[in-house]
This record gives sequence, C-alpha cells and structure tokens, in this order.
Amino acid sequence: MRRISKRFDATQALDDVSLALYPGEIHALLGENGAGKSTLIKIMTGIHQPDQGEILLDGQPLRVGSTAEAQARGIAAIYQEPMIFPDLNVAENIFISHRQNGPLLRWGKLYRDAEDILARLGVRLDVRMPARGLTLAAQQTVEIAKAISLQVRVLIMDEPTASLSAHEVAQLFKLVKTLRQEGVAILFISHRMEEVFEIADRVTVFRDGRLVSTAPRAEVTPERAIRDMVGRTVEDFFARGAAERGELLLSVRGLGRANAFANVSFDVYHGEVLGFAGLIGARRTDVGLALFGVEPADTGEVVLDGQPVHIRSPEHALKLGIAYVTEDRRQLGLTMPMSIAANISLPMLREYLTRLGLVRRGHEAAAAERYRQRLAIRAPSVQLEAGKLSGGNQQKVMLSKWLNARPRLLILDEPTRGIDVGAKAEVHHIIGELAAQGLGIILISSDLPEVLAMSDRVLVMREGRQMGIFSRAEATQETIMTAAMGQAPGDGGWGLGAGEHPNPYPPSPSRQQEHL
Amino acid sequence: MRWMTRHVRPEQIRELSLVLLIVMAVLFFGSQIEGYYSARTFNRISTGAAILAVVAVGQTLVVLTRNIDLSVGSIVGFTAYFVGTQIARNNEMTPLLAVLMAIGLGAAMGLINGLLVSYGKVPAIIVTLGTLAIYRTILVDYSGAKTVTTDSLPAWLVNLSSANLFKIGQIEIRVVVAIAVAIVILFQLVLAYLRFGRRLYAIGSNPEAARIAGLPAQRTVLIAYILCGALAGLGGFLFLARFGTITVVAAQGMELEVVAAVVVGGVNIFGGLGTVVGALLGTILINTLEQSLVRWLAISEFWRDAVLGMLILLAVATDAVIINRLRRLWVRSELQPRAESEPMQEQPQRV
Repeated sequence: MRRISKRFDATQALDDVSLALYPGEIHALLGENGAGKSTLIKIMTGIHQPDQGEILLDGQPLRVGSTAEAQARGIAAIYQEPMIFPDLNVAENIFISHRQNGPLLRWGKLYRDAEDILARLGVRLDVRMPARGLTLAAQQTVEIAKAISLQVRVLIMDEPTASLSAHEVAQLFKLVKTLRQEGVAILFISHRMEEVFEIADRVTVFRDGRLVSTAPRAEVTPERAIRDMVGRTVEDFFARGAAERGELLLSVRGLGRANAFANVSFDVYHGEVLGFAGLIGARRTDVGLALFGVEPADTGEVVLDGQPVHIRSPEHALKLGIAYVTEDRRQLGLTMPMSIAANISLPMLREYLTRLGLVRRGHEAAAAERYRQRLAIRAPSVQLEAGKLSGGNQQKVMLSKWLNARPRLLILDEPTRGIDVGAKAEVHHIIGELAAQGLGIILISSDLPEVLAMSDRVLVMREGRQMGIFSRAEATQETIMTAAMGQAPGDGGWGLGAGEHPNPYPPSPSRQQEHL
Repeated sequence: MRWMTRHVRPEQIRELSLVLLIVMAVLFFGSQIEGYYSARTFNRISTGAAILAVVAVGQTLVVLTRNIDLSVGSIVGFTAYFVGTQIARNNEMTPLLAVLMAIGLGAAMGLINGLLVSYGKVPAIIVTLGTLAIYRTILVDYSGAKTVTTDSLPAWLVNLSSANLFKIGQIEIRVVVAIAVAIVILFQLVLAYLRFGRRLYAIGSNPEAARIAGLPAQRTVLIAYILCGALAGLGGFLFLARFGTITVVAAQGMELEVVAAVVVGGVNIFGGLGTVVGALLGTILINTLEQSLVRWLAISEFWRDAVLGMLILLAVATDAVIINRLRRLWVRSELQPRAESEPMQEQPQRV
C-alpha cells in the first residue's frame, strides 16, 4: 500500500500511510482506538475507496471497488464478530462466495471439498451441521476455511481473538501459522500485546491515522510499542486544577454482571472526576450502564451518599440522582427530529406538565434557554431540531438534558468523541465547572490525554476486569496504556502465554443471533 | 435421539407436524360434517389450494430474503382481469400466448417491486403496500367497472379448471393441481440445488455478512421479486380459468392468505429458513380449514380472515418457542456423544 489517505468529514482517518505485506509473514498492526486501523482494512477490502494513494499487489496497481473484487484478487478479512450465515451449514458457509463452480450445486462435492479444507487445517467439524450453534471459535475456523477456499493471498484478521478463550486462541494461532507456511500474507490486529509478540514477524504502530513505526519483532519491545501508540502531548488540553475533594459520594464494591465485567470496586467523591480508561472491549460502558440501571449489575454493592442502593432501572437511577450521558448520540442520546427544548425536558417531563398532562411549552423553553446560555449551545433558538446541530452542540444538548435532571453523579461516556477541537475544549471546561460545583463525575473516555487532563484519579479496565486505580501523580500515558493492555506496571517480561491467560467471559449463547 | 438429530433437521419436524395437523383437521371435520369424505371435498380443496400454492411459492422466495411482497393479491387480480379481457376480445389466442402474457405481466409488476426494494432501498413492506394499492387502482381505472364474464371466454379456458389429468376412482387429479405440484417441485429443486437458491437463504440469514461475502445481494433480491411477480401472474391465469367471472375486486385480500400459508408453512418471516414444500403444506392446511369451516359452522366469509389472522399469530409464536427449543436440543446432542467417545482427543472445535 502506498501513500494512502482517507478523510471522513472533519477527521483525517488515514494520512499518507504506506505499508508493505510479504508472503509468509505475519504482520501485526497496533494502535489506539481510532488510530486508523479499521479504515485501512475497509480500504483493502473495497468497502471504502482511498482519497489518495494506491494499493499494489505483486507490484501491479490494484483497484478494489468492492468486496467481491477484493476476494477475486485474494484479499479477505476476518472480523471480531464472524460474518457467518446461521441458517446455512458449515460447508455452504465455506463456499458461499465461490463463483467458478457454475450455478448448479453438487452437494457431494461441496461436502468433500469442505472436509478437505478443514482436514488441511487440522480441524474436525461436521460440515453438514448448520452454522447456528457453533461456538465463536468454530465460526472463526469456518471463516478461515472460507478464506483458504478462496485461495487467499492476503488475510486480514481484525481482533480475531477478542472473544476467544485461551485454548481457542492457541488453536487459532496454530491455524494462522499453517497459513503462514503456505505463503499467505497476514495482517493481524489485536489489542493483546502478548499475542502480538507471540505470533507476529513484524510490528507496525499507527497513531492518529499515521504510521509511526514499523520494525521486525526482534527490534521492538512492548514498552517501545506502547510509547509509539500513545506519544501525544497532554499540553493541548484544558488542564483542570486539582479540585477540592468533597464528601464520599459513591462507593462501589465488587460490582459485576455475568458475561460483561466482574469485581469492579471504586469510590467517587463529590467534586471529583474519576476517569475510566481502557481499550475497546474493556467493558467500561457496561459499568456505566449498570450504574444507570440499563443493564443492572447482578453482583456487588453500591452505596450512594451513605445509602445502600440497588439500581434497577434508569428511572430508578434518575430518582437517585444518577445521570448517564451516552457515547452514542445518534442512536441513544437525542431524539434528532425533536427540538432542543423537547430533548432537554424529556427525562424530567413530569415537571413540565399541567394537571391535565399537557406539556407547558413555555416552561420547557425557558429551562432550555437557561442551558443554551450556560453551556453556550450555538443555536438560533431552542425550538431548532436537535438533528440540525453540529456534533459538539448536540453533545451540549445531551449534557443539558441530564443536568436538568439535577444529578449528584454524572456518568459521561465518550463525551468528546467525534466533535471538533473547539467544542472539545468547551466540553472539558463544562466538566471542570460541574465538578467544582460538587458533582461526582465518572468520565469514560478512550482519549487518553483527555482522561489524564480531566481526571483526579484514573481507573483502568481490560476485558471486564479492573486493572488498577491510578492517582493523578501515578497516571501517565505509559502506565495507563500498559495496564489497559494487560500488563502490571513495572513488570518487564511479557511472558504470559495465551494458554495462561484465560478469558473470564467466554461468549454466551445468547449473543448469537436468534430469530424471534 | 442421536440418530434423529443427525438425519432430521428441526425444520423437517415442523413440516411433519404440519402433515399431522392436516390429517387431524380432516379427521375432525370428517366426524363433524356429513359426507365430508368425498371426492367433491378433495377436488374443491385441491383446486383452491393449487392457485394459492403457486403464488405462495413466489412469496416464499421473497420472504427467504427477509423481504415481503404484499402486492401479490393485486397482481393476481390484475393479470386475471387483463388476460381475461384480451382473450375475450380475441378468442383465437393460443393458450401458450395467454399463459406467457400472464407470466410476463406479473414479472413486470414484480420487477417494479424488486427495483424499489433492492436498488431503491425502500423497506419492502412500504413498497409492496404501495404497489398493492397502485396496481389495484390501475386495474379499476383500466376496467371501467366492467366485468369479464365466463361466456366471453373460449371453451378451452373455461374447461381448464375442471379438466382432469387422470382419475383415481372418484378422485380427480386436475390439470391445475398438476401445474401447482410441478411448480412446487421445480422451485424446491431451485432452492436446494441452484447457487441462486442458496443465496436467497444466505441473504435472509445475515444480510450484513452477505454484503461482506461479496454476494450480489441486490440482484438476487430483484430476481426473487421478479419470480414472485411471475408466479403471481401465473396464479392470475389460473384464477381466471377457475372463476371465469372476473371483477375489479378479484383476488382482493389474497395476500393475507398467501402470507399466512408461507408463515404457517414454516418459512421464517425474518428470512433464511423455510422450504417450498413447507409453504405448500401451509397452503393445504389453510385451504382445508377455510373450506371446511364454511361448511361446518356455516361461518361467514368475514370470519375466515379472523381465522387466518389467528393462524399467522400461532405459527409465528410456535416458530419463536418450539423451533428454537428444538434447535437447542439438536446442538446439545451434537456435543454430548463427542465428549464421551473421544475424551483424549485434541479439543474438537464444536459446541
């Protein structure tokens, strides 16, 4: 790949990236969330087109207009969530993308060929079994078999191990090594450092859409890779002065929910910002959702201002003074076709009703107007549709909506994702002010410099487990990223083999798609 | 149990249970209605089911892709009326031309549905609800409120519905029934042995994966709609042959019967699951109930729709509960024998 660039609206997803893959090599790609890894995959598989640059295969320029074209050229991708057809059987899943065999299916040959491929991989799997009900690991095996059947030359694996158990990871790696022997070029993406160092021949690090470093594994240390991944300066951020810590507001002990997270314990004080750091799949959002009662926790204790509470539903959480600002503005945050005022009043609509149950629009507008001024929402009127606002202003409307519920504890999930620098600074300023007014704030953010700049303490999670809480003095990009990638700070060795690292949350059957 | 789970799929159990239901319904009505076990009953039900089955086969193709075609009733009515007036005007028209005209007209209307759904990306239920009304309105406008009458049609067409292929005693196997059976067999083979057929299942099973697997999803859905329209067109021709007298409300509400037949026949409304044979069994069950209830209670036409509605709800509910349970049972039995017989082997990669 040569000098690839891609822009999405305001974000430069990839900036002048060149990457070389060789046959028979496993090439690991590392990078924080949003570093541009996914965009690269989508360009390679023909889902997106690059704005600039070109892809060369065997020295020939290649235009990949669609997934089918990419497959025809021998480029295939395997995703974290396998893309299988639950109603078709294993053999059909393997050969679904094939075209050359003509329109007529020969079932006997299909089964034999599928069995051959699985035998080559050293896997035993009933090819007549419907794919529904296969474990995620078996589904992934089917995907690999599919790639092989297409005579794949470049195989992209996007976090294939994220939901596998240790044993399954070992199996997968065996398959990957078989492919390497057969001369396939493999691009391997993972957040698990020990896996990368176990299997990769070459390690490349992306940061903010640029390629930072690429080197043979022997020349890379985990410490250096992490340094390359973070490497941004904190100075550009609104720095919150150390705040006065008030009384204890929230105390969480041993919080857990099956198949999501376990044994999470922390305190939040009035006037404190507690940062939640971690990579995708760390299950930070699930903790937030548990505290807001959307997906109630099933173990653990929560004490709010000295009162033990059992949060059952968002309605209950609101009554207790807990508000949650979602990361997903579009789907879960705002009702886009409704006005700013209507959005803000929504959670507390009862307060704006007349005795007959009609909405008092004047009251509603007046309240919205107060927030418009306080948070500097740039809109000509509070009657404007929320969908017409910029991302940053939508974020402020969402904040207003939950502030209007007068919370004691505010959970912010990725409050600055996808908004521009100016709006980001404003949101940071608002967070600082709210904390100064005595609110306890949980700040879930994948933007590491942001977490460091805003938080009094930082809790780090990884795959549903709490890796530690760092004070402001202890928290640096390196210590947090090290913990987020599953390594105790100061422990230099990366000796944990995949086999010694059990995944505490094997995928539950309920995650598989069920027809109603 | 082990033998059963290896050789029978949960879906086949469902089809078997439909056969059982049909037998039970026949036995029940046989005990309630005097003279129920007669050739007349068989002929009436089989002829009625034949037309419905042809249309239901087309609907099955569409539903498998996680779409729906609500306009089939209007297509049947439109083709029946249009072909009827053409033949009435020109009695010399050959049967082949008349059939081709009906199929072509239906295919054209299916093409419009398919283009809007697959390339226009408008939800299927909206598109076909719209064309349901539009096709019917065009028919009303075209007809000028006139009626096609039996005496204006040539003799071969009028006699077609009562023409027999062969007779077993009093029981007649009519040509119409033979056509329906041929269509069912043909499309069962298409679904099982053609790449196109398997793609219908794949697309309905996981549309996102179909896109990523590089399947020509849009084209496949378009073809499904064209075939559905064409079969509805053929259904229209058979409708014309059976009734002879065609008004502008011909086959109105037939989409309810067709969707009911398909869903009762075990075709999953969310796509990816089901067979043409299942749809045929659904058709037979529904037709048996319809025809027999009318004779048993002398219930009105209006109650018929309520019965259909309840059947749809019942079918979807059993799909949700029973089929899922059966599937879990199947998966579990896959796991156990392995674990027992090969304890020392490398971990087999299965549930």
